[in-house]
Amino acid sequence: MIFLIEYNRSEGSIVTFRYFDDSERRKAEDSRLEIELDVNRKGVDHEVVLLEAASEDALRRTHRRYFEDLRQILKSR
Amino acid sequence: MCKMPVSKTQIDRLGDRLREVREDPHTESDLRLLDDYRRSFGEAYEAVVRTIRQRGEFPTGRLAKSTVSIVEKLRRESIRLSQMQDIAGCRVVVVNVVRQEQFVASLKTDFPGASLIDRRDNPSYGYRAVHIIAMISGMPVEIQVRTSLQHLWAELSEKSSDVLDPTIKYGGGPAEWRSYLTSSSKSVAAYEDLEKKSSIAVAAYEVMVAVHEDIKKATAELLEHQLPDHEVQEIRGKLEDSTRKMERAELEVQDMQDEMVRLWNVNADRLKETISWLDKLKGQKQ
Repeated sequence: MIFLIEYNRSEGSIVTFRYFDDSERRKAEDSRLEIELDVNRKGVDHEVVLLEAASEDALRRTHRRYFEDLRQILKSR
Repeated sequence: MCKMPVSKTQIDRLGDRLREVREDPHTESDLRLLDDYRRSFGEAYEAVVRTIRQRGEFPTGRLAKSTVSIVEKLRRESIRLSQMQDIAGCRVVVVNVVRQEQFVASLKTDFPGASLIDRRDNPSYGYRAVHIIAMISGMPVEIQVRTSLQHLWAELSEKSSDVLDPTIKYGGGPAEWRSYLTSSSKSVAAYEDLEKKSSIAVAAYEVMVAVHEDIKKATAELLEHQLPDHEVQEIRGKLEDSTRKMERAELEVQDMQDEMVRLWNVNADRLKETISWLDKLKGQKQ
């Protein structure tokens, strides 16, 4: 699956979260570009990233910073 | 065959424009050009991910680095955009350092000529992992291989860079937090070093146990025959010697495991202190 994430770094929170089927790569890339252009126009410091993982759970394990706060990550050890 | 949409010179000029610190936003045409460039890594990325899956690991792929991260890297390092090796990449988190060694060795076979950056012995501001840059039809794809402990540390460093201070990832930030990250990175390194030594010691112990069993069986068979006293003594001596060696190896394994538990507990105590510090910090901000 492909996941599109718009992430507000200073807040440490997700602004947009969308997912696409593996066959929709082109659509996912177009959506990312659309958001990046919008973020650039607005002048906000958001990270827009496309990730591919076997499942959302797998994504949450390998990219925890998008989904958890610092305390949750610390306590998970 | 992967193809760059434009020439290397045009890519580097784009990099120079993105690097400039300016008030107004980047131009839309520059962002579109950057996007085309990132998309050109698609086939190389696919090839790498396919190979990794065949090795039984399930990577999380980053189809392309975000614009924000590219711009930050251009500003931070004196690097040309066409030289950036982590535009496309993926991450594999493995259970421990023993599996990490095995997996990295298999990647070296799968991608001959790939460059390897081992940040375990020379950490980058505490960050420890192995990065492999595979070249597919001239396009670099970065593979990050982390153990679960190295990964946890990296997530802490990245998240704290987001919400506490962006300089943390590069050695800055509040002293208390810096101290925690430094000590926990060292502690993970010590733990993983023991983990590696312990797995070798356990393997050696298992071989010793098998050999000891063979000696025991052979001794029992030999003692069924009428042997002169001095030969019986010699055989018994060898059995006792083997028993002592096995006991020593068992103790060695036990000592290593005790030390691993001790290190784990030290880190857990430090972790509790850090959570309290974090809560205090949050309280002050509110």
